[in-house]
Amino acid sequence: MTRVDMVKGAYILEMLSSNVREEQRGFKDYRKIRIDKDFIPHAEGSAKVKIGETDVLVGVKLGLDKPMPDKPEEGNLMVTAELLPLASTNYEAGPPSPESIEFARVVDRGIRAAGIVDTKSLFIEEEKVWTVFVDMYVLNYDGNLFDAGTLACMAALMHTKMPRYEDENVIREGNLSRLKFGNVVTSCTSAKIRNKILLDPNGLEESVMDARLTIANDEGAVRAMQKGLKGAFTAKEVDSLIEEAFEKSKELRNILNNIGD
Amino acid sequence: MRKIVVPGELLSDKSPRGKDIIIENGKAYATVMGVYDDQKNSFVPLEGPWYPQSDDLVIGIVEEAKLTTSIVDMNSLYKGLLISKYSDTNMESGDIVEAIVRDVDETRTAVLQRPRKLFGGKIIDVKPTKVHRILGREDTMIRQIEQSTGATIKIGMNGRIWIKGGDVALASKAILQIEEEAHTSGLTERINKMLTEGKNNK
Amino acid sequence: MSNPANKPELIVNGKRLDGRGLDELRPIKITSSVLKNAAGSSFIEWGNNKIMAAVNGPREALPKHTQDPDKAVIKCRYSMSPFSSIEEHGSSRPSRRSQEISKVIREVFENVAMLDYFPGGEIEIFVEVLQSDGGTRAAGITAASVAMADAGIPMRDLPYALSVGRVGDTLITDMNKIEDNYSDADIPMAVCPRNDEILLLQMDGTLKRGEFGQVFEKIKNAGKVISKLQTDALKEPYINIMKKYGGL
Repeated sequence: MTRVDMVKGAYILEMLSSNVREEQRGFKDYRKIRIDKDFIPHAEGSAKVKIGETDVLVGVKLGLDKPMPDKPEEGNLMVTAELLPLASTNYEAGPPSPESIEFARVVDRGIRAAGIVDTKSLFIEEEKVWTVFVDMYVLNYDGNLFDAGTLACMAALMHTKMPRYEDENVIREGNLSRLKFGNVVTSCTSAKIRNKILLDPNGLEESVMDARLTIANDEGAVRAMQKGLKGAFTAKEVDSLIEEAFEKSKELRNILNNIGD
Repeated sequence: MRKIVVPGELLSDKSPRGKDIIIENGKAYATVMGVYDDQKNSFVPLEGPWYPQSDDLVIGIVEEAKLTTSIVDMNSLYKGLLISKYSDTNMESGDIVEAIVRDVDETRTAVLQRPRKLFGGKIIDVKPTKVHRILGREDTMIRQIEQSTGATIKIGMNGRIWIKGGDVALASKAILQIEEEAHTSGLTERINKMLTEGKNNK
Repeated sequence: MSNPANKPELIVNGKRLDGRGLDELRPIKITSSVLKNAAGSSFIEWGNNKIMAAVNGPREALPKHTQDPDKAVIKCRYSMSPFSSIEEHGSSRPSRRSQEISKVIREVFENVAMLDYFPGGEIEIFVEVLQSDGGTRAAGITAASVAMADAGIPMRDLPYALSVGRVGDTLITDMNKIEDNYSDADIPMAVCPRNDEILLLQMDGTLKRGEFGQVFEKIKNAGKVISKLQTDALKEPYINIMKKYGGL
């Protein structure tokens, strides 16, 4: 975060003191969400998600792999994130930053804990399993990567084709079945700025937020949480944000279930 | 006829002048996107950086304040330099400042003078090529926006704009619309209409 | 990479595997100003290639030792997403290939950009290949040109790029991945449309003596189409607003 970002963000504080957000957005409103599924036909699954001007592309590839020693009959899932330098002048090319690692791991935890990918279905034969590579590519940053990333991963995984392994060849084209998935997870991220809490922070709001809370849940349960930055939440606040996440996630699941086949 | 041109496009044999034009074998070519008017033989750039000149008003943000000098971010390759002997205002990093370019040296530094601190407000960055249109002829456009919205607006030639008070949201909406439609005709009427409607919707 | 035994018949009765004629380009679509945060950007869909290009600057070159007191420096990153290929999951870490391509792209724009306007500055060019199907460097340069103009970086021309290849005795324009894998030569070029100067030239395979002239004719012919698409992508947003409100 540069000094210029922080000075620009100071206006957010000015507005919040009279209970207003940019573009008259409500405190519990998402920006406009747009999902383009199958954006990368070369990948087994893909989706591009825009929340406002935040733009995240996810590509899913499956590859042959060895199982983990402790789970010989299960395949693997790997979620990574690239904060591309074209997405923000604050991003640099090079090894992953702590921010991008946190982003990938939080999204990964939600997907894993909710059992989105049935890793047992990725078993092929002894010492041979599929690894599902889920790569998040941030094309433009304007806040709330977590929710956009989770949505994009879900939209991609829900439409991922399952390659076939035949005669020691991987067949990625033709008539293929779908990757088995049995659940839908979404996340809701809120920012705490001074004593106000607002859903789906944009870039300017994130430049002045004191704390951030991401709650990933499916219909039945909370599946992952991550509190970020140095500010604090009270237990009461967390409790009400969990309630809010259950309510809001209905909208998000609705969007996911309505993007067609 | 006015036409939109791209870098490398031939303008005319009777070369217009300008920083955004190169002459090769007696012919003039655009180096940035712009509007070329063959009757007036004029070229107005649509894209391109700001090249600071003496007397330009700028809006900047103090990046680093030292005892005798302060460095000012101007959303540009050029850094602003405030030297305390040209000013009796004490700067701190993070201050928003309005100032005048005194002169520009070859090391990408614009020495600033007559700085004034601005407090609070909203900052937006627009394309520097659109600033003239946002100001309007003899500043008429920006006066109109100030009048209709009750906002105070400062416009830097560097493309940075500061807005405070009144209906900030409507004022910045109007400015962004001018940026987008700067090359069209009838803009003043459209902006007036938009401001009136925006006010009535309150 | 490609087993010659599996080589398909690339040209049958003057038609190629995907139904194209010998000199026919794949469908190309260019959109400018697609990313909010970059100073300039463009998205190109060229056959099955999907590439995002973005440009930032000019701003102060950092770290300081990279500055040139006489002119701006260009920093270029060409990179391929791990999901870009129809084959295996790849690595997005810079390979020797992507570093070489980054260099030759940079050199194209070092030629056309007015770098001496911005001493000590830097201009960053990003070419992110999201999906690849042969000819990504050409498509990437074509897109980067549009992004440079969109960012307002002064240039003396708007270069385009494409590749011509040879299959047996036949020259073909704009090879896709399969053609590239089994062709006898691949010759990507970047050219200034105004004076036909060649800014990028690479070749691998076998080019016959005396054949280059023909290759360049094909490049120039298809280049006219590509140039027009670049120009239209840049002008269209402006012209659409002018059509709506007047000003032409």
